[in-house]
Amino acid sequence: MDLENKILRHTTRRHFFENCGFGLGKAALASLLAGNLPAATRGKHHASKIDSVIFLFMAGGPSQLELFDYKPQLVKWDAKPTPEEFIKGKRFAFMDTFNKETPKLLASRREFKQAGNSGMWFSDLVPHISTVADDIAMIHGVCTENFNHGPAKLFTNTGSVRTGRPSIGSWVTYGIGNESKDLPGFVVLQSGPRGPRGGAALWASGFLPTAYQGVPFRSGGDPILDLSSPKGVTPEAQRRTIEAIADLNKMELQATGDEEIATRISQYEMAYRMQTSGPELIDFGQESKETLDLYGAEPGKATYANNCLLARRLVERGVRFVQLYHTDWDHHDDITKPLERVTKEVDQPTAALIKDLKRRGLLDRTLVIWSGEFGRTPMGEVREKGKIGRNHHIDAFSLFMAGGGIKNGHVVGTTDEFGFSPTEEKIEVFDVQATILHLLGIDHKQLTYRFQGRDFRLTDVSGRLIPGLLS
Amino acid sequence: MRLACLILAAGSLFAQSAADTEFFDKQVRPLLRANCNGCHSVNSLNGGLALDSLEALRKGGNRGPAATPGDNNSLILQAVRHEGALKMPLGKKLAPEQVAVLEQWIAKGLPVAQDFKAAKRRQTRHWAFQPVTRPAPPAAAHPWIKSPVDNFILAKLAEAKIQPSPEANRATLLRRVSLDLIGLPPTLEELAAFENDKSPNAYEKQVDRLLASPHYGERQARFWLDLARYADTDGYTIDAPRDIVQWRDWVINAYNANMPYDRFTIEQLAGDLLPNPTNDQLIATGFHRNTPSNFEGGIDFEQYRVEAVADRVATTGSVWMGLTLGCARCHDHKYDPISQREFYQIFAFFNNADEVDREADRKYFNKPFLEIGTPEQIAAHQKWDEDVVALEGKIRNYQEQLVGNADMDEGLKKLRGELNALRRRKPKIQRAMIVRDRATPRDHYIHLGGDFTRKGASVQPDTPSVMPALKTQNNPPNRLDFARWLMSKDNPLTARVTVNRIWQHYFGKGFVETENDFGVMGDKPTHPELLDWLSSEFMDSGWNLKHLHKTIVMSGVYRQDSANRPDAAAADPYNKLLARQNRLRLEAEAIRDSALVASNLLSRKIGGPSVFPPLPAGAGDVTQVKREWKVSPGEDKYRRGLYTYFQRSAAHPALITFDAPDATVACTRRVRSNTPLQALILLNDDAYFEFAQSLGKRILAEAPPTTEARIAHGWKLVTHRAPKPAETARLARFVDAQSDAQTEKNEEAVWTAAARVLLNLDEFMTRE
Repeated sequence: MDLENKILRHTTRRHFFENCGFGLGKAALASLLAGNLPAATRGKHHASKIDSVIFLFMAGGPSQLELFDYKPQLVKWDAKPTPEEFIKGKRFAFMDTFNKETPKLLASRREFKQAGNSGMWFSDLVPHISTVADDIAMIHGVCTENFNHGPAKLFTNTGSVRTGRPSIGSWVTYGIGNESKDLPGFVVLQSGPRGPRGGAALWASGFLPTAYQGVPFRSGGDPILDLSSPKGVTPEAQRRTIEAIADLNKMELQATGDEEIATRISQYEMAYRMQTSGPELIDFGQESKETLDLYGAEPGKATYANNCLLARRLVERGVRFVQLYHTDWDHHDDITKPLERVTKEVDQPTAALIKDLKRRGLLDRTLVIWSGEFGRTPMGEVREKGKIGRNHHIDAFSLFMAGGGIKNGHVVGTTDEFGFSPTEEKIEVFDVQATILHLLGIDHKQLTYRFQGRDFRLTDVSGRLIPGLLS
Repeated sequence: MRLACLILAAGSLFAQSAADTEFFDKQVRPLLRANCNGCHSVNSLNGGLALDSLEALRKGGNRGPAATPGDNNSLILQAVRHEGALKMPLGKKLAPEQVAVLEQWIAKGLPVAQDFKAAKRRQTRHWAFQPVTRPAPPAAAHPWIKSPVDNFILAKLAEAKIQPSPEANRATLLRRVSLDLIGLPPTLEELAAFENDKSPNAYEKQVDRLLASPHYGERQARFWLDLARYADTDGYTIDAPRDIVQWRDWVINAYNANMPYDRFTIEQLAGDLLPNPTNDQLIATGFHRNTPSNFEGGIDFEQYRVEAVADRVATTGSVWMGLTLGCARCHDHKYDPISQREFYQIFAFFNNADEVDREADRKYFNKPFLEIGTPEQIAAHQKWDEDVVALEGKIRNYQEQLVGNADMDEGLKKLRGELNALRRRKPKIQRAMIVRDRATPRDHYIHLGGDFTRKGASVQPDTPSVMPALKTQNNPPNRLDFARWLMSKDNPLTARVTVNRIWQHYFGKGFVETENDFGVMGDKPTHPELLDWLSSEFMDSGWNLKHLHKTIVMSGVYRQDSANRPDAAAADPYNKLLARQNRLRLEAEAIRDSALVASNLLSRKIGGPSVFPPLPAGAGDVTQVKREWKVSPGEDKYRRGLYTYFQRSAAHPALITFDAPDATVACTRRVRSNTPLQALILLNDDAYFEFAQSLGKRILAEAPPTTEARIAHGWKLVTHRAPKPAETARLARFVDAQSDAQTEKNEEAVWTAAARVLLNLDEFMTRE
């Protein structure tokens, strides 16, 4: 039997295993990096609206009240004690700060303007994003479960505040595979002054095979760890090496009949292809100056702008799930200058990504989502004299999406006059997850994995499609 | 226990007459049976409530006691009168005279018949809860048989009409048993000694040598660290370093000393409660301090303490009981006979550990510690600790008084300078995170829906009713009682679960393939009699681990060849009957260790602080708090993978990529994935390139100076066998091409290249 047939049989066997239920296929399933899987059908439950997701994760909790959720009532109530009915029985982070006295409401110092056909509100911090108002769906009043960064980030990614569950990118690539033949299916990019709280747990595969975990890429240097051949090893020598390994492994395959060896041979071939495609991927020399300027990208730097451009290049090449983390949104002390700084880093590239995807015809089959792990309180927080910030708020934050299958140019959900709670139906993080999966053609209730005797899913026992969002 | 006293006390208030008993038997019992017991009995614990014994109904369900003698407001009365939200029986209403019977019964002080007093124990026919038996090995005569284990295996194979495989050749066998027992491949000298040993017990001599090796403890410890979710840092947000390597070394030493598994368990779960515990027994309790801990600003410490305790229950369930106890945290277990109340009864055993549960104690984060040193060192450290706390307080006060810009204030600058200087003067002392109970026990209660802020009924520590009862004089029973209960010989789970997991290490999967789920949703054992035979053998040997390992590796089934058997695969495609050994990719650590042995770089130093081998550039950039990764100098650069510093939020890629667990929850079995990222590491990582260089030099130094001889030597160093002619020819072709491509003759570069090929062979990273 030739190698191709062996690999094919291996693949078939894998499908057979899946149909046979738990336990049989775990090792076999783990055999291929999600990036190398033929588009799996395990999670394809209906026609998809999109092929790829770019999740722009604003780590730290951006203030919806300074950006998108305009609350003129807060101006009247500025510096006045919060009426009890809004905070009674609620738990907040940094309880000790609040326990001393009734917290005071804080009006936003930003100027707000409406943009787009729907009259979506934007503050003066996001002038670029306001220009794509008709290409995004704004969602207000989203709530989450936990008011601490690490657990809340885990929750957004894995549907659990505890570590150990698979992240959404892992579920997606486990469910429907990847279109790219030479890049991993779930790529993680990072910018900002530090890594996101929680680190690798945020893109872990949990109990799913490790082949589905997110692969961190860097926008400078080697995009993937160990992607470059060792110093002094020429491309020809590397090719010779991989050929020799393949030939010797084929002999071992003949001798033992262990099909895992066939998989290993194909993984080495994929590794070699990645070595070639990786440097090409991050070579911005192919981009026009106009495009670089649109994003504000500067080749070679680990910036959010570069990562947005890289994200476009990744989905262009068929990568299924790209997640960008940008840190430093945790504005307890001061909601003015530090927030201005981080929005300046994020505003233009975010808008550029949406525009660029659109003009290349990619936006229809991509979902861009911009969100933090939670938002910030309508009350102010004073940690240092003369400065004012906002605390974590989990009951009503704002996020927006752009792309295929959704009503772009629409606003979904509203919050009360101060922005404490949603006034319509609650939109939960589980709903956001269910909606993302739905757009990819996955029924969130059917994509399950049996672990420790139970069928787990991303959305646990919750989740529904966000009402009024889908087109 | 406590309940017995209550019943006695109640008895003194409400004397029970024969008429009362008759009233119960004729009126109350039939009423309960007809209207309540369908949903509320020990085998159907809706709402956690059983109404089939006095003990159970007094204890009550998740909402608290169902009835209290003389209390006309008892919950059961409220429910049957439809007074509140709770209306019972479901979907109907009792007739007024029936309600009156219950009212009368409670007014009389709940008189019951003798057989209704004590709580019923839950019954199940599920195999795993039945007592462990000692089946006689099936009679069989076959030259292949090396141990009673084989009689069981052979009987199943014979049923399927499959012949076992012959014994593997000596090289394969020694490589296999070395990698399995000590996690390291044999040296060529060890291999030669075995191949030349003509004595009939040559193999047994090797097994005994390996069991006596100090590396045995390292190998077995690594499996145990997986179960314990061991890491060198806290996890979650800050992910700071923690003091836990003492525990890791305790595990290595315990395995090497062949500590009986019952003692091994009891010291780890409750060493602190043993009489006059030694330092070692305290360090052992670090097992359950391996839970991730959150030190992020703005957290509710109680929430994360509760998380850790729940994790301890779930981990204890996975490791010793093979039960998914965690499923019963929010509601009764959907499949297994474990109620939510029982989850919190086990939770209660672990709930008194003295850990930080409020913001005011933030500075004591990760306490309690055992401080190890001379009395003077310990005193100096305590003094230093107090000085730091005092100075920090002084700075806080100063800041609060301060008017103006804090950054410009000279006084503050000076104080901060003092603090930094003081911190640098930290007296050297070793610390170990341990478990110790607090002076005042906590209240234990059911967390409704798994939410610790929603208090349900109070509970006391106890074990699941479906298991043998816990026997103790202590009231309430404590963690030590629980640990002893786990290790009591009538516990049907502990020995089976342990034997199954150890068997899995040798064959890739256990008799029960769902090694962490022996419940009704788990797989049935492929060889139930052998599992029981080994389990009873394990207990009868005094929980002797080395005896168990030796029993398995001496068997004929273990020693078989691993080559595919198309004839057997037709009848047994997954090789469940074990007509051959399984080829298994090595674990992350064993791949590194094997490369270190082949390249002659391995440091065989055992224990001590974790080490920092080279880390690919950028691999640590994903964490919130940047941690320094300074490559360890000298031999510490070449320590076994077990000792690589494990940072939870950015674990070393060479470990994680090869499926080392991420240390979040107990890992009872590692996945064996096969990905291109693994290829990139072995091909390109600086560490592996260095191993290749060293292996290349070694080949040049040790082999006769011909290409064939060098290939033969290098091949043997990584696979422990001689290359076949076709293999030699292919590698020689590669060597020639490498030489031709060079402008200057550089043998070292050529043989580094050849060594890279060798270290990427499937056979190198596989245990045949």
